Amino acid sequence: MKAVRSMVLISNDTESIALGANEVFSAFQQKIQDYGLSDEISISFISDIGHNSAAPLVIIYPEAVIYGPVKPDDVLDIVEEHLDKGHIVERKLVPAHELSEHLTWLSSRKGTLPAENRIVLKNVGLIDPENIEDYIALDGYQALGTVLGKTPAETISIIEDSGLRGRGGAGFPTGLKWSFVAKTHIDKKYVVCNADESEPGTFKDRLVLEGDPHAIIEAMAIAAYAVGADEGYVYIRGEYRLAIERMKVAIKQAREYGLLGKNIFSSKFSFDLHVHAGAGAYICGEETALIESIEGKRGEPRSRPPYPTTFGLWGKPTLVNNVETLANIPAIIRNGADWYRSIGTPSSPGTKVYTILGNVNVTGLIEVPMGITLREVITIYAKGMKGGTFKMAQTGGSSGSIIPANLQDTPMDFDSFKTASVSLGSGALLICNEEICVVDLAKVLLNFFRFESCGKCNPCRIGCQKSFEILSNIAEGIGTLQDLEDLQMMANQLYELSNCGLGQTAGSPLKDILTYFHAEVESHIRLKVCPADTCPMSGKTIYHVGQEVKITREHGA
Amino acid sequence: MSVEVKNGLDIKKTIRELIKQHGTERAELIPIMQKINADFGYISSEAIEELALLMNLPTNQIFSVATFYRMLSTEPRGKHVIQFCESAPCHVAGSRQVWLALQEALGLENGQTSKDNKWTLLTTSCLGACGIGPVLVIDQNIYGNVQPQQVKNILSRYE
Amino acid sequence: MVKLNIDGKTVKVLEGTTVLKAAEQAGIYIPTLCAHPQLTPYGGCRLCMVEVEGAGTLQPSCTLPVTEGMQIKTNTKKILDARKFVLTLIFSERNHFCMYCQVTDGDCELQNAAYDESMTHWPLQPNWQPYEVDASHKFFVLDHNRCILCRRCVRACNELVGNFTLGFKERGANSFLVADYGVPLGESTCISCGTCVQICPTGALIDRQSAYQGKEIEVDHHLSVCVDCSIGCQRDVLTRDNRLIRIEGDWDTSLNHGLLCEKGRFEPLAKECNRILTPLVRKDGSLKAATWDEAISAIIEKIKPLTGKKEKGLAVLASSRLSTESLALIDEVFNQGFEAAIVTSIEEDQTSSVAAEIAKELGKPFESKLDVLKDTDVALVLGADLATDHQVAGFFLKRQQASGTKLIVAGTKENRFIDKANLKLQQTKGTSLDLIESLTAALVELRKAKVEDLKAADALYSSSEKTGLAIDSLLKTAEYLSSAKKPVIVYGKGFVSNNNKVALKALLEFAALIGKNGAPLVGVKGQANSMAAAQLMLVKPFKADSVQAVYLALGDEIPTKKLTKDLENVPFVAVHAAYSSQLTANADVVLPAAIWAEEEGHYLNSDGRLQKNVKALEAPENVLDTVTTLQKIAELLNVKTKGDWKSQLLARVSSVEITQG
Repeated sequence: MKAVRSMVLISNDTESIALGANEVFSAFQQKIQDYGLSDEISISFISDIGHNSAAPLVIIYPEAVIYGPVKPDDVLDIVEEHLDKGHIVERKLVPAHELSEHLTWLSSRKGTLPAENRIVLKNVGLIDPENIEDYIALDGYQALGTVLGKTPAETISIIEDSGLRGRGGAGFPTGLKWSFVAKTHIDKKYVVCNADESEPGTFKDRLVLEGDPHAIIEAMAIAAYAVGADEGYVYIRGEYRLAIERMKVAIKQAREYGLLGKNIFSSKFSFDLHVHAGAGAYICGEETALIESIEGKRGEPRSRPPYPTTFGLWGKPTLVNNVETLANIPAIIRNGADWYRSIGTPSSPGTKVYTILGNVNVTGLIEVPMGITLREVITIYAKGMKGGTFKMAQTGGSSGSIIPANLQDTPMDFDSFKTASVSLGSGALLICNEEICVVDLAKVLLNFFRFESCGKCNPCRIGCQKSFEILSNIAEGIGTLQDLEDLQMMANQLYELSNCGLGQTAGSPLKDILTYFHAEVESHIRLKVCPADTCPMSGKTIYHVGQEVKITREHGA
Repeated sequence: MSVEVKNGLDIKKTIRELIKQHGTERAELIPIMQKINADFGYISSEAIEELALLMNLPTNQIFSVATFYRMLSTEPRGKHVIQFCESAPCHVAGSRQVWLALQEALGLENGQTSKDNKWTLLTTSCLGACGIGPVLVIDQNIYGNVQPQQVKNILSRYE
Repeated sequence: MVKLNIDGKTVKVLEGTTVLKAAEQAGIYIPTLCAHPQLTPYGGCRLCMVEVEGAGTLQPSCTLPVTEGMQIKTNTKKILDARKFVLTLIFSERNHFCMYCQVTDGDCELQNAAYDESMTHWPLQPNWQPYEVDASHKFFVLDHNRCILCRRCVRACNELVGNFTLGFKERGANSFLVADYGVPLGESTCISCGTCVQICPTGALIDRQSAYQGKEIEVDHHLSVCVDCSIGCQRDVLTRDNRLIRIEGDWDTSLNHGLLCEKGRFEPLAKECNRILTPLVRKDGSLKAATWDEAISAIIEKIKPLTGKKEKGLAVLASSRLSTESLALIDEVFNQGFEAAIVTSIEEDQTSSVAAEIAKELGKPFESKLDVLKDTDVALVLGADLATDHQVAGFFLKRQQASGTKLIVAGTKENRFIDKANLKLQQTKGTSLDLIESLTAALVELRKAKVEDLKAADALYSSSEKTGLAIDSLLKTAEYLSSAKKPVIVYGKGFVSNNNKVALKALLEFAALIGKNGAPLVGVKGQANSMAAAQLMLVKPFKADSVQAVYLALGDEIPTKKLTKDLENVPFVAVHAAYSSQLTANADVVLPAAIWAEEEGHYLNSDGRLQKNVKALEAPENVLDTVTTLQKIAELLNVKTKGDWKSQLLARVSSVEITQG
């Protein structure tokens, strides 16, 4: 993307438009052009920032200042003083109490644009992944060498101090997990890389596996040294054919160079790695289901406790880490824990790879420090909505939360998300405009869960199927108000009773659409209208699992 | 993957060679079945019986594992297998229209094989190619940014 | 020990106990569906959820191990709502129409669970899709509509029986119970043990022969012992109105803890034989109905003159399915009192008699209890087809294979148990003694210190030749046995055929070489009371052409073709039998006998347990049990009897210690 030095964001919710936002926008366009700053400064609309009494607002980055109410006459001052000369126009700043609660944080956010900072994706696209020499040339395997000169305990300390948290979706402190495995006194331990990446909307791990497989090998060797393991598995989903091939080639080369196998770097440390391919099951991304799959069984999650850190692969202590988590390890070792802490937020240091998908202008992957907001992602990186206005986004993949417009400014790190009860998950961001019907989307999501459910526990196996059927009925216009209550109950109990994360998060979309889009769902039921004009509303009924039976007047239904 | 139906003899020979390569540890069951599925298009009851014999596993356990995973099939499939992503990101990118176009062009429901055994139509979960959704996979080939009007053309490339 | 608090009650349990078991110990009831005391916890039904202080969500108590200081609540509103939700979901998944199912009214755990939660209707609409009913199996029906996917049957088939026929295909809402790779049960590898039927909580798996025969809870239970082989499994005989309804295992029993095989569970009800309901006496060439007095007089008339005659005298033959009381009385009356030419059982399996002789020579017992089979890492089975006979002993061994136990089976090619072995020793020639010699040679070869000691190698080579067993198989066997921590050796009729005392003695010596204290030896012995017959010395060889008359106490045994042929030319044959057969058709006097369920008695099983077969049915009017009949005969023969069967039984040393079962 083009580098701009400043961003101007203008609110265009109904209120703002009524108060002249469009004219303000045109004024900015004109004035910025007049001052010859068109190439350095971008102007965008931001939709629905919540109610506030200072509309229209103008937010300017990187200073993160909010001006309002802004009239077309004010624009010249802002452009001349602020954008051209760098002086904040104090008199136009909005007093904090006049801002909606979603924007008060902005005053505490000073600093640079949340710019991309490639740690995980450092080498991706720059090196030949099938040539170990490329990797070595860019400081590859240096971290492993460093670590072998330290004790395992020291290594774990570095990771603990860095504050790295699992990037697979759970956000568990990585150093702590390593220490659990290291603490066990069993002769045989394993490290496993979870490269099952089946969360819809997520393909960050694939890029690392295809573009920089040695980073994972090095990270796993470091982890094995730290926890006391001598054998590891990279579990890659079966559909990632290229990733599997590249990883196999990388392992072969690493062995040839003595970076895997016996006595690495002439130390007492020996470690070898195998690639194990999955066979098409989302549930195998769950730690214990993954372990069951490696053992050649159905991928049904085990009961926990005991956790894999004490009873994992073939009953031995096993460390399971996500690809993205591991990809951070060599950099942390090379640059130190303090360096890592300096990026991101206090509770969630480091960067996160986000996938931007949906009805936006630019889709793809970005790696930015933790704490970026959804609005920033949409406006800065996705270059705004592609037609239509922002309606909702699903963060964290299909098992993530559906968030409405007024939560766009929540900083995306593990804890902020938790307090706003929104899930960060794998970092997939699916951004939808008003053409996407929530009922239709929820139907697609529940279809995914009912297909991927392993079937072991009742709440998930039956709950996902039933929820799908209820949503289908609502989409066909034969839903009832009781259905809303049933869906709410499903959502709550799925979370409360399921055996693993799949069931627990399958209810999130249900909970969210009922919380934030209740009216839209009700409209399908009471008015038999799909506001987004997507749902069939044809009065059909689902009789058999997966089959549809048409009920017509003649059948007397 | 295009499918060549091989006769009974070859299945046993193939499996014996696979066992030689992989060994008989339980952990090798799924990788071995992946290869059988790739070569023969599916895992037949003969294959299951041979595996049971050579790996010293009950047929029920092999069947139970094979039917759990989407990439493995215990039913014969058509010459060309179409996998269509039905997950949320592709959906938001407009996959429904592409699906309808596929159904119209083939006259098949999800999971069905055409009468002439040329096509098997399957929906699949996210394949990790979301940046280019809607996504369609035929055998080993991935088609991205598929528009409904392109469907017929894509299908015509296969014998 | 771990201390925790459940519903305000302090509970102390061993480490590793689950919260569910801890609650049970404290007398607190937590409902379950997929849990079963005999099976490893599954954690699938989610009915047993409890509140754990500090945990974010409810936790399943059946899988959760206790920790020190845990605070548990088992019946908060949240939990009650959760239970209702789980049951609601189950009812909505398939077609659970209680009103059409005859398992209801107390015998269905799903229905009971719903009533316990005060549920009165289905809150969510059930699935109208009809599921299959698999009625292909001879003894039971699998109705998928009633299946709650609890996996108890799968776990029972794998963990308790080791047969691995049942499992689940596909996943999610498409999960479905299948046999083998999706074949009808009647065509599968199912061995009809019926454990799945017994353990199924609903009416998904139901016994065919007792189906639609009235309310499940209105039956009489008789805790008894199986009389179909010498394992002597404890079983529950269900009757109603003097009819046999069904046979079940009892999970709380100690020997077989609920397991039975098809012979003990299903076949007794599948018998298609004609019952003899009146005494019969041959008049003018054909058998005619007679009174008991007439029939017995006819017998006494013919046999009294043969009292004490050893040449061309009376042969008294007894079925080894008869109770110890009957066998002891036969011995007392005919051996001691009457001094018949020969008094013996018709048992063809010689294991118990050979074992008894060895015990006599040694002067003490030398075999172990069947319980040693339940926990072993290497089991050597010699000449016993545990897939056909004594199947429950086979279950004990098969089910441990999944966790690494090695099963080594030696036998001829007719032995079906060899298929299950990790190491198959299929002996094509030579004797049992040759087999032991080859195993001993292998053991010695393995352990010898010097490589140059050629004598051992020679012995191994030559015995391998004699038996047709490959040298590396023999060495592998020796290797397994040497490194075993808990080895066991089982032997059966194939090993001691032709009265092979020498082989058994050699086996004893071989067993002593294994491990620190020798490997325990278990013999599986023929019919239900073969052991008692051997103890009473009723095991002499019988030649039909050397006797003038035969009195056969057959009971409910079906006579072999050989026996029928043997008796054809005996001048006078009197039979006390329950079922008509060619043998009874050929006899001169036939007395109607009680079947196993109609006559109480004690049985001595393979490993010395003295157990009681309880009377579950009243015999038909004109039918008399063996003991009463013998007493009548004794009276008319002027033979006084004490009836002290226990002393008679314990008079000699037994091959395995006799204990009260």
